[in-house]
Amino acid sequence: MDHLQKFVAQLQNRVAILLMINSLTIIGGYWLIAAYVGPNLHFKNQQIATAIILVFIAFLSIILLAWFASTYLTKPVRLIWQAVLHISPSTANYPAPDTKHVGFGQELVTALITHVYQMASVVDEVERTAKTRKHDLRSDFVANSLPMPVAVLDKDTNVLFANDALLQTVGRTAQDTFGQNVYLILDLLFSNEDTFDTWLDDARRDKVTDTKTWERVRLNLPEQNGTHYYDLVAYYNKNNPDGFEIMMVLFDRTRQYSQDEQAMSFVALAVHELRTPLTLLRGYIDVFEEELEGKLDEEMTGFMHKMKAAAQQLAAFTTNVLNVARFENDQLVLKLHEEKLEPLLLMAVNNMRLRANVRGIKLTLNVDPGLPTVGADTVSVSEVVNNLIDNAIKYSKDSKEIIIHSYLTKDGLVETTVQDFGAGIPETAMSNLFNKFYRDYHNRSQVGGTGMGLFLSKAIIDAHDGNIWVRSKEGQGSTFGFTLKPYAQLADEIKKGDNADVTRTAHGWIKNHSLYRR
Amino acid sequence: MSQVYTSPTPIGKKVLCIEDEHFISELYVRALTKAGYEVTVEVDGQRALDLAKTDAFDVILLDLMVPTITGTEILRRMRDTSETPHLHAKVIITTNLEQRDDIRANIESQADGYLVKAEITPRELVDFLSTIK
Repeated sequence: MDHLQKFVAQLQNRVAILLMINSLTIIGGYWLIAAYVGPNLHFKNQQIATAIILVFIAFLSIILLAWFASTYLTKPVRLIWQAVLHISPSTANYPAPDTKHVGFGQELVTALITHVYQMASVVDEVERTAKTRKHDLRSDFVANSLPMPVAVLDKDTNVLFANDALLQTVGRTAQDTFGQNVYLILDLLFSNEDTFDTWLDDARRDKVTDTKTWERVRLNLPEQNGTHYYDLVAYYNKNNPDGFEIMMVLFDRTRQYSQDEQAMSFVALAVHELRTPLTLLRGYIDVFEEELEGKLDEEMTGFMHKMKAAAQQLAAFTTNVLNVARFENDQLVLKLHEEKLEPLLLMAVNNMRLRANVRGIKLTLNVDPGLPTVGADTVSVSEVVNNLIDNAIKYSKDSKEIIIHSYLTKDGLVETTVQDFGAGIPETAMSNLFNKFYRDYHNRSQVGGTGMGLFLSKAIIDAHDGNIWVRSKEGQGSTFGFTLKPYAQLADEIKKGDNADVTRTAHGWIKNHSLYRR
Repeated sequence: MSQVYTSPTPIGKKVLCIEDEHFISELYVRALTKAGYEVTVEVDGQRALDLAKTDAFDVILLDLMVPTITGTEILRRMRDTSETPHLHAKVIITTNLEQRDDIRANIESQADGYLVKAEITPRELVDFLSTIK
């Protein structure tokens, strides 16, 4: 305020002085004209001539004074304006105002310009924070609008950010989540050794950025009932400037996976119910066989064997049912190991021998010497062999021999064939043989079975990267064959292939193959 | 309560059979005692775990579906060294229950054997026990 009062006083002084100068100029001019110029002029009307010259002088002096006065009096305003221009981004090339050479009101001008600069810096700050704030708000908004839980972690796997969906899922507030270690917030269970932890260790060791997806990750929520399943996607960035090292996104798959589980558990439950009496039947047959050995006549011994074979067949069938259900739910995971084929075949054939024998059929196994080891899931491949022999027995009719033969093909694959000399398969039926529940209509009335065996066998052999085929002539019998890859070949392919599909475990490696992915 | 069956021809090995289906345990007892094992049968999960903790057994046959505590829980607690240090028994899962592969793999990794009861006869069980010793 003092500056302004002083400025106004100074302005009044200067305006008064200027008006005085102007008045004096006019008076002086009049005097000069009256005293010197007037008498020397020889106009007719002396009075009018003097007036014209006087007006001219007054006019000139006013213009000159007005120009000078306006320039002089507005200098403070111009300096302030210059300061404004100087700080405006679009006219920043204007020089800073020079407040030293202002004729009057220096204090006011200096104070005003200082204020302008202060305000400018405040505005600048406000704008800058508003900009970042707006950005944060926007990312918060996006993350919080996402229906799936999202978390961002720092280098110590502490939670830097968790969106509303995540907080809701784990039933926590932002305060007791942010800054906490993620392992305290999310209790995740992975279906195998390939966990978030091991991935993060690997990524930190030799990656700059990495992304990984896990399916069917279980999230333990102590407060809530039931099991929750998620697919988890994690993103790793070593050099993120904000220290955001890891981002995790969870996709709720609880409904989908638990439906699978329910469907699966119905079959599992049914199979369990079947298996208990079956266990007992087989147990009692075992007892009878042991106790009655040598006491039964030939016919009764035959019945005993047939009963035992039937119980065995039923046990194998329940396992088949279960595996088809597993396959359909993407839950059949095969573990391929290096295996010798001969002991595997011998066991499978011995397992089927009783069933063949009670029908008077002889099983012959020929394994070529020097076969390489194969990459196989023994339980599954045994099931394939059992199914093929079971089929051969069913369709053998009156023929009494089934030959199982293993050899190396020209392509270096290990092939196994199961050959019967029975009914054979009509050509029209050949293309549908490996379809689910397909059975040759000619034979449907004569032979039991659901056609599940070949469907499952194909699924298992496909999963081994093998090939299953049939050759048949009606009336002369059929030959079913399947190939397995030598272990060396498979191992090479796995080493070359994308590691995402292979998991090393203590037992060897698991390949998440087509059977699992469908 | 648990019941103990001695063998007429003892080989000095003790089996704890955790099984709630009486007919099945009866068959196993018969085959096992015949082969020289002394067999203790327990149907209740909690009592079975208490028995197992005494470390008096060489082999534990464990059904996964038993009352009070599930077989999976019994297995976990038997393998928890803070609760049961130095259990020397071999633990064989005997079940007809089907699990998801990953769950089964997890159970298998903690056990010394995993048998589907419907797929073996009592005599085959005895043969299996002789191979794991």
